Amino acid sequence: MIQIERQAWEAMVAHARAAYPRECCGAMLGVEKDGTRRVSIARPMRNAFEGAQEDTYVLDPAEQLQVEKEARARGLSVLGIFHSHPDCDAYFSRRDLENSCPWYSFVVLSVKKGEFDHANSFLPNFEQTAAEKEQLEYSV
Amino acid sequence: MAKILIPTPLRHFVNGQDAVEIAGGTVGECLEKLTTDFGDLRKNLFNDEGKLRSFVNVYLNDEDIRYLDKTATAACDRDTISIVPSIAGGR
Ligand SMILES: [Zn+2]
Repeated sequence: MIQIERQAWEAMVAHARAAYPRECCGAMLGVEKDGTRRVSIARPMRNAFEGAQEDTYVLDPAEQLQVEKEARARGLSVLGIFHSHPDCDAYFSRRDLENSCPWYSFVVLSVKKGEFDHANSFLPNFEQTAAEKEQLEYSV
Repeated sequence: MAKILIPTPLRHFVNGQDAVEIAGGTVGECLEKLTTDFGDLRKNLFNDEGKLRSFVNVYLNDEDIRYLDKTATAACDRDTISIVPSIAGGR
């Protein structure tokens, strides 16, 4: 299960709305305990895709290194990655799956006509051939 | 000894450590040694053919080893090896 604290959730939604109609992306920082990932900080990241960002996102590896350092400095962990789907449901697409990794929770936010609509979280397998849905809770 | 920084989701495979010091000549040798010492970590980094998984990017200090000498890149004392998953997506 992944639980996202209010401040972090608000930052995720704000980032997704600001990026609309492009896809946004970012990291979720917090602590994992007894199988529950509790996110206290959402860290917006740059969409490094150098083309139409309406339907694609790419994390910048240099920024990932930086985020990992920030998490360490705060005594937190990078627990997951979030991105948005403008005018589209919050499903885990084939390209999302093929370019994912099994270590993180992947939260997808659906943004329709510029406003947050719904979200889901996914846990990809090692081969990136399937992802199971993860229970997602957020405070608003 | 090179220092390998362990991403959080993998720390429980290395007794909770956030970094492991490994003596090895190349980055590839360090990763081999790491995943031999901590066997459960292996399938997170390598596929069944013994190749680094496609989502695993390795950095020596702040340089992607793909742009250096790949896994043959020399890892010296006080070098830091980071493991960063490559992540993207699209509809
Ligand atoms: Zn997506």
